Amino acid sequence: MKQEDNVSVAPGEAVGVVAAQSIGEPGTQMVLRTFHTAGITSVVTTKGLPRIIEIVDARKRPKFPIMRIWPEKEIAKRYEKVREIWRKVEEVKTSAVISNFEEDLKAGTMLLHLDREKMGLYELSAKTIISKISKKEGTDASMAGDDIIKVKYKAKSVEATRKAFVEILGMAIVGIKGIIKANVQQADDGSFYITTSGSNMEEVINVEGVDKDMLYSNDIFEVYRVYGIEAARNIIAYELTEVIKDEGFTVSQRHIALVADGMTFTGKIKSIGRHGVAGEKESVFARAAYEETVKHFTNASFFGERDMLKGVAENIIIGKQIGLGTGLVKLEVKKEDLKKIKPKND
Amino acid sequence: MADEQRCAVYLDGRVIGYVKDGAAFAEEVRTNRRTGVVSGEINVAYIKGLNEVHINADRGRVRKPYIVVEKGQSKMTDELKEKLKNKEIDYNYLVRRGIIEYLDAEEEEEIRAAVDTKSINRHTTHLEIDPAAMFGLTFSTSVFPEYNQVGRHPVSANFIKQSQGLYAVNFNNRYDARAYLLYYPQLPIVNSTTYRTLNINRHPSGQNFVIALATYYGYNMKDGFVLNRGAIDRGLGRSLFYRTYSDEERRYPGGQQDHFKIPAATTEGYLGEHAYSKLSEDGIIEQELPVAEGDVLIGKVSPPRFLEEQTSFGIGEERNRDNSVTLRSGEEGIVDSVMLSETTGATKTVKVRVRNIKIPEIGDKFASRHGQKGVAALIVDEKDMPFTKDGIRPDILLDPLAFPSRMTLGQMLETLAGKAGSLGGKFFDGTPFSGEGRARVDEYGKILEGFGFDKFGDEVLYDGRTGKKFEARVFTGIVYFNRLLHMVSTKLQVRSRGPVQILTHQPTEGKPRKGGLRFGEMERDALVGYGASLLIKDRMLDQSDKADVWVCRECGDIGYYDYVKNVAVCPVDPGATLEKVEISYAFKLLLDEIKSLHILPRIKMKSE
Ligand SMILES: [Zn+2]
Repeated sequence: MKQEDNVSVAPGEAVGVVAAQSIGEPGTQMVLRTFHTAGITSVVTTKGLPRIIEIVDARKRPKFPIMRIWPEKEIAKRYEKVREIWRKVEEVKTSAVISNFEEDLKAGTMLLHLDREKMGLYELSAKTIISKISKKEGTDASMAGDDIIKVKYKAKSVEATRKAFVEILGMAIVGIKGIIKANVQQADDGSFYITTSGSNMEEVINVEGVDKDMLYSNDIFEVYRVYGIEAARNIIAYELTEVIKDEGFTVSQRHIALVADGMTFTGKIKSIGRHGVAGEKESVFARAAYEETVKHFTNASFFGERDMLKGVAENIIIGKQIGLGTGLVKLEVKKEDLKKIKPKND
Repeated sequence: MADEQRCAVYLDGRVIGYVKDGAAFAEEVRTNRRTGVVSGEINVAYIKGLNEVHINADRGRVRKPYIVVEKGQSKMTDELKEKLKNKEIDYNYLVRRGIIEYLDAEEEEEIRAAVDTKSINRHTTHLEIDPAAMFGLTFSTSVFPEYNQVGRHPVSANFIKQSQGLYAVNFNNRYDARAYLLYYPQLPIVNSTTYRTLNINRHPSGQNFVIALATYYGYNMKDGFVLNRGAIDRGLGRSLFYRTYSDEERRYPGGQQDHFKIPAATTEGYLGEHAYSKLSEDGIIEQELPVAEGDVLIGKVSPPRFLEEQTSFGIGEERNRDNSVTLRSGEEGIVDSVMLSETTGATKTVKVRVRNIKIPEIGDKFASRHGQKGVAALIVDEKDMPFTKDGIRPDILLDPLAFPSRMTLGQMLETLAGKAGSLGGKFFDGTPFSGEGRARVDEYGKILEGFGFDKFGDEVLYDGRTGKKFEARVFTGIVYFNRLLHMVSTKLQVRSRGPVQILTHQPTEGKPRKGGLRFGEMERDALVGYGASLLIKDRMLDQSDKADVWVCRECGDIGYYDYVKNVAVCPVDPGATLEKVEISYAFKLLLDEIKSLHILPRIKMKSE
């Protein structure tokens, strides 16, 4: 017998139920609250059961998206180069490089007092700030003193001016939208990498020096958009594994892989639940038994649906033996063999 | 004044004004209360975080007395204590003079209360009247709790609440829905101040058990214990259980009303002559009659539910319903008392109290006052119980392993104190936080040694079955145990077959209906996980609501069997052929309900 036969799943094994139980059971012992880990890295993520729910529900965006950006092999150990990537990645808003501002809404002018120290941190010059602000339509920016930028905006009303000023203050001078915070970190082998709060794979992947094969984000839909469904499947499995491992439990990879496969095998990411896997079951009874009973029955009657009674739930409802496990096989006796049976003489 | 500088004053939740310095204002109100300028029922609290003063004078606040401490000195001076002792002054004097004051939850929030005089420091504002006063009524009956692990205290309090005892002295005149009464309540050998001050020692709720921390052939593992049959026969833990059944002659619109009487045999739902055999002429049972399951206690007939029911012979004869009260299933007893009265609505009402003796049996629950519960796992004849050199046989054998993990050293101490007290013929005090720890052990040890016992309570035991001496010495003593109101006889139930629900044809649920245990969703999933398909079918269909249904071959609708013509009929096409199909009745019901949505479900069958 081959080793492979030993470990392969037997036909009729209820893999879905076992997977659900295997992930659900440790779930009952996990922390129910979202908690944050504050540290030097200051990267905040959802953990425990809330994160599992987030993944399994296929939420469009995680509550706390994060990224890990690895530089290309050649520059990985050169701090200066990695820092250059960092500078291009972290989003710096206007408000982050000024100490304070004065606005005159009637005149439509705003004075930005530059904070040289902060500008130095992000290696920004007043010129870049001015050119960036000027890109906004109807805006005119120029130096008005050593550390002051004067912004002019022509608008019809005071309200419109105020709105424009708020927009200018929240404007990204450098960096990528959505990357709230980035940190350069060092791995065990001495190479540097960047961790971020906030995720934007679509743009980070185009930054020079970023290793496109190593880019990581915990935003499943973003991974799906950028790298495709296979990557999304992998990230679902990876995220589930990590969350469960974080809580100190071990769940076999097969159960997790089954969930990840179940969520992605159609080519799109589907949630486990009413709007996803459970809601798209073939059987009317199985769907009706889960949620929104009346809706499923009325819709089924509109479209003249048939229930072929192939699944587990519907067979339990009507009271038939389920087609799983011992119910998978049927015994048949050859007619010739029947003749061989002779009545016993007591 | 700017908002940050002024402090709102609330009286019973409503703003009545503003002050500059909230804390000082609250203090002023407090001083006035203590000196009697304002009522002592007023409570005031300055809430720092909100910068608000809350004055409460409404009713319904729970308040607790404290001794006032000023400048690190308790206002309850030795001089006052002496006067109190000589009855020159009384408690109310202290309250009036502001030496003792009552605080509500809100004011209590910001005080600094010292547990005893020793722990008063310069921040202290109040002093507990007694360290034990921090506990509620229930828990203050606990002894030596300071030697127990904190986690056992709530458990202990819960068990004390559930104990059977003398719950009210007028129990004989009461008709409680359920009541438990211990036959021979005893005063605990180790008791506390609360027992005396609250008169709990006049109506205690437990008995002093002779315990030994020993195993008995593996029968007292975990929370199981071995009981001495001899002790039970002498009345240990014996109690009475009362249940009151009541009913009234209700009036209905249309001038009809119920009647207490023995129903006639023609009554709808007549239970058979035998069931009413114990009723007297007025339809109500007699006192001191033994009753068993199925016996009617109160015979009652009610008018028909629907007036003038139509029958095939026109308007039918009025048929009354039997609405009698029967003894609960699985119960028995003796009718203790019958009370006839009238309700405020001037209708006749009856209360029947049935009494039953509950002798401790295997499965009954007991607990000490330290959160140590246990279930009788074996009842052993007295001759087989281990005995000491004096011929003492323990009432109860506890598993020694109940102690290491739970760390209820209070019970160990009580065992020792109880033993010393029973030998020396005196009671000991176990009031919370009143003792001196080690000194107690020495005191009890000395008494024990004086009577020729081991000072740590250990004893040489002999096996009752073989007469051989046990190699190890066994910790033996006396602990106060409560019999809890969880008894097997009120819970035990089995079902192999029995009643089913009318609507679903599935087995009923719950003990009073002789129900089965629910095989729920999670249980089902577990079997699906195993792939035990036939076991699922057995649980969900064969042992539940299996039904044979006739299904039309042509239209797929459900038909019926005409027993007169001996043929299955389809209501749509009477000529069609039908097939007998085995389905769950719940599914048939589901199909009916779908039909009520104006959807016609059809069952298509494969030919076999
Ligand atoms: Zn038909």
